[in-house]
Amino acid sequence: MERSEVLKQFKPDHENMLNILHALQNNNSQNYLSEEDLKIAASYLNTTYSHIYGVATYYTMFSLKPRGKYIIRVCNSPVCNMENSTKVIEEIKKNLSIEVGETTDDMRFTLELSECLGKCEEAPGMMINEDVVGNLDNVDFKSIFDNYN
Amino acid sequence: MSRLINIKIDGKNIQANEGANLLQVAHDSGIKIPSLCYHKKLTPTGACRLCVTKIKGTNGLVMSCTVSVKEGMEIIAFDEEIEETRKHILDYLLAEHNDHYDGTYHDEFREWLIHYGLDKHENRKYPNISKTLNYKIDDSSPVLTYDASKCIKCFRCIKGCDEVQGKNVLSFSERGITSYIIAGFDQWNESECDGCGECIQLCPTGALVEKPHRDEIQLENLEKKVVTTCPYCGVGCQLELTVQDGKIVRSDGVEGVLPNDGRLCVKGRFGYDYVHSKERLTTPLIKRDGKFVEASWDEALDLIATKFTEIKEKYGHDALAGYSSAKCTNEDNYLFQKFIRVVFGTNNIDYCTRLCHASTVTAMLKSIGDGAGSNSIEDFATTDCLFVTGNNIIETHPVTATYVKNGKYAGKKIIVCDPKWTPLVKYADIWLQPRLGTDVALLNGMIHAIIKEDLIDPDFIEKRVDRGMEAYEELKQLVEKYTPEKTEEITSVPKEKIIEAARMYARAKTAMIATGMGLSQQVTGTNNVFSLINMMMITGQIGKERAGIDPPRGQNNVQGATDVGCSPIIYPGYIPITNEKNRKRIAKLWSVDFEALSGKPGLTTVEIMNAAYDEKIKGMYIMGENPMLTDPDLNHTEKALNKLDFLVIQDIFHTETTPFADVILPAASFAEKEGTFVNSDRRVIRVRKAVESPGEARDDWKIIVDIAEKMGYSLGDYNTESEIFDEIAQAAPIMAGISYDRIEHQGIQWPCPDKNHSGTSTLFLEKFNTPNGKGILNPVEYIPQSEQTSKEFPFILNSGRILYHYHTSTMSRRNKSLTDFANESYVLMNPGDVIKFDLTDGDKVKLTSKQGELVTALQASDQVAEGELFMPWHYSEAPVNRLTRGDLDPFSKIAAFKLTACRVEKFVS
Repeated sequence: MERSEVLKQFKPDHENMLNILHALQNNNSQNYLSEEDLKIAASYLNTTYSHIYGVATYYTMFSLKPRGKYIIRVCNSPVCNMENSTKVIEEIKKNLSIEVGETTDDMRFTLELSECLGKCEEAPGMMINEDVVGNLDNVDFKSIFDNYN
Repeated sequence: MSRLINIKIDGKNIQANEGANLLQVAHDSGIKIPSLCYHKKLTPTGACRLCVTKIKGTNGLVMSCTVSVKEGMEIIAFDEEIEETRKHILDYLLAEHNDHYDGTYHDEFREWLIHYGLDKHENRKYPNISKTLNYKIDDSSPVLTYDASKCIKCFRCIKGCDEVQGKNVLSFSERGITSYIIAGFDQWNESECDGCGECIQLCPTGALVEKPHRDEIQLENLEKKVVTTCPYCGVGCQLELTVQDGKIVRSDGVEGVLPNDGRLCVKGRFGYDYVHSKERLTTPLIKRDGKFVEASWDEALDLIATKFTEIKEKYGHDALAGYSSAKCTNEDNYLFQKFIRVVFGTNNIDYCTRLCHASTVTAMLKSIGDGAGSNSIEDFATTDCLFVTGNNIIETHPVTATYVKNGKYAGKKIIVCDPKWTPLVKYADIWLQPRLGTDVALLNGMIHAIIKEDLIDPDFIEKRVDRGMEAYEELKQLVEKYTPEKTEEITSVPKEKIIEAARMYARAKTAMIATGMGLSQQVTGTNNVFSLINMMMITGQIGKERAGIDPPRGQNNVQGATDVGCSPIIYPGYIPITNEKNRKRIAKLWSVDFEALSGKPGLTTVEIMNAAYDEKIKGMYIMGENPMLTDPDLNHTEKALNKLDFLVIQDIFHTETTPFADVILPAASFAEKEGTFVNSDRRVIRVRKAVESPGEARDDWKIIVDIAEKMGYSLGDYNTESEIFDEIAQAAPIMAGISYDRIEHQGIQWPCPDKNHSGTSTLFLEKFNTPNGKGILNPVEYIPQSEQTSKEFPFILNSGRILYHYHTSTMSRRNKSLTDFANESYVLMNPGDVIKFDLTDGDKVKLTSKQGELVTALQASDQVAEGELFMPWHYSEAPVNRLTRGDLDPFSKIAAFKLTACRVEKFVS
């Protein structure tokens, strides 16, 4: 979708800044807010660049770097941590050959950490885009990731 | 008025206004509660927590900067626990802080560290972790450096940029311990920052420091600080110059003094380097065999005296003329006009005001009897509605614009009327974009709408307008045909917008008008302003506080130069030369025969040049003016200057005009002289000497006195500038009550008729300065511009100023800080036209008009409408006035700088 089409869904009010940034990020094929995205948001809201940038860097759900098609968010809150999320992170890193914050060469996956996903009963857990995947103690990550093309 | 209440701080009884800020009340009472994030110009933040106090009846420690005082409040500002807490807070801040200090800035944080003994490492509790945080330095701006490791996140810079300057350029990036200040997308030089440096002045730690002269400044070697007035635009900002080793190394805004209360723009803060330029004129130069050779003052002045005397004797008094200078002081200008009138014996004296606001002044003098702004600069923040027309106020009067923006954020309305987008449009409620040169139609259309909606002020019309409702009826009849539909057809402004703007202006409780060159520099300039005044009169938007018409003055002393009589038709204080009674009074004051003072009106700026072309003017004395860039139709000016028998130019630099001179005299810059300027709100303000003039350069007034003496005249026996001003006060009744001792701290706004008068912040509260005290309506018809596009010249070119340069840029382009921001000429063209004429953004293009041609770079921009172009006129390598024409407004003789038909072609070298 053209960026101007994305913006049309919202009134140019400051209270819509977060929604606009989310919509622009979701609309971006590389799952991030490019400088063009930020500029058009600033212009639409008649505000300065730093105000948009400040908001975009404050919230971890926004990225200013291109990301993979799928964002893996491994929960690293206390419960998951006690259920050995550290091991989960290590296995995913090994499986995808990337560090936390990095994206696979084929731009499929980006690995991030997350605060509590509210699925403590299935700890350790993660999200792959909108899907929640729990009970990751002994799973075959490759087969999970193969479902995401 | 708020109520006075009593509070107690540490047992001391203090009276304060109810609701005042506790920390400020304490500071004002001499109780120095430590603080870092608080600044009296800004809303309280409560970020640093250093100002903690105890308040009786309140639990725990309370930050005093967040408390409003109430009757009977009892505060403990200092006890052991509070002091221990403050020390702890500082120690905590210090743990993340890089406390290296290089001695170049005022470090408030360091002062408190020393106060609490924390400069000694053994007294600190926490290890310093600043190095582990990898704080970044943004050194990309041309004028400042931000070092996050020295930042205590106090918000002062952000709030200064928002609340004081109204720019909102700064924000925080990231969060928590890693957060830091950003401009733009974390890259200062690519952000919207325009370099005003408000943030630098407010930073308490040296996280934000200026770039120019950083490697030279050593505050311990500081020689002195001198308060003076900015030499750029007509706002009249008060500067504090820091002088070290005979050189200006820093310029700050003076807090707590009007008009600027500490605010500056990029030119005021960083534009002083030209004072110490190696290119300054340092010795008199005489042209011999076509080349300038150095001469002694005696040699130069003798030659000048001989030549001027010869011309006067051979061709008569009126064969001589002078241009005075809007950049020089009142004292310089006063003696210059006295010289022209007494020594030359003519009224052929004018200056660049003729090229900027002559039409505004002509219309205002005729309608309301005074050509000066009716209000004060700070009123721009508090008027309910501001109508800004033909005035790019953010770029031309940046500090006045800060008040406009303050008003905007306080909910006031702004209407911008400009054919070209200006930065104020971002803040405006309505932007009217009329076709170039259709202002009268637009304003008549607004008047039509005001009348139709019954938004006139009949009471005001009856009481304050000459011939009352009868005059109104004539106007009503004239504007009858300017229906919204008809007005839209002429101006291209949608009729709904015309009606909306008319309603907004007329309905506002108070409304002010800021008019500028866009309206004045047309052959219909005077009519444009008449129309504007008509609208103001019938709505009663004048004659009360925060209402009126204000033409912000372009140059530092353009107001003062006319006030003190640099005009072909008036004496000091706006008294017509034809007023014999005044001429007699002046003759007596100047100790000359009444008959020696000519009663014949002199020639105006462009008329003088035309007379030179016609060989009627043979000799000229130009002080601080550069007609070879400022005049319209420069090819004509060039020929005229070549025809002069003798030309003397007194300046601080070689200019585009000095090659035509026979003698060039080196003069002192603003930083090297004592005197006064008058700013846009009629405030007489002091100029003070900070440094010595280079070489043999001298004060302008002393040179004038010496030339007079060599020609056998005495202009007066002055020892100081203060004595000259005392004579001005005698000559000009509007300044009669002003003297140097009264304006030591803050300037006084004229009229100030006597020593007990405190000056006048708003004009026309009771009557207008017309003969019968009533305002005069001058209904005017829209006349299509004489200059129209054609097949050969399909564009209309508009010209104007930009923030970073000033006038002919003789001064501004000699500052690296300013040229780093902007140093290249360009022409703006609507992207649609760029495609239509098969051009590309960035192309080198040739602009041709009937008068001449120039080459510049093309910028595609929707800031201009299709069919229109815009060029900044500061650049001598692409002088817009090669293209403009000498057609004059018949009433004011202003030239039509704003409308030139031309064509644009790709330049092939």
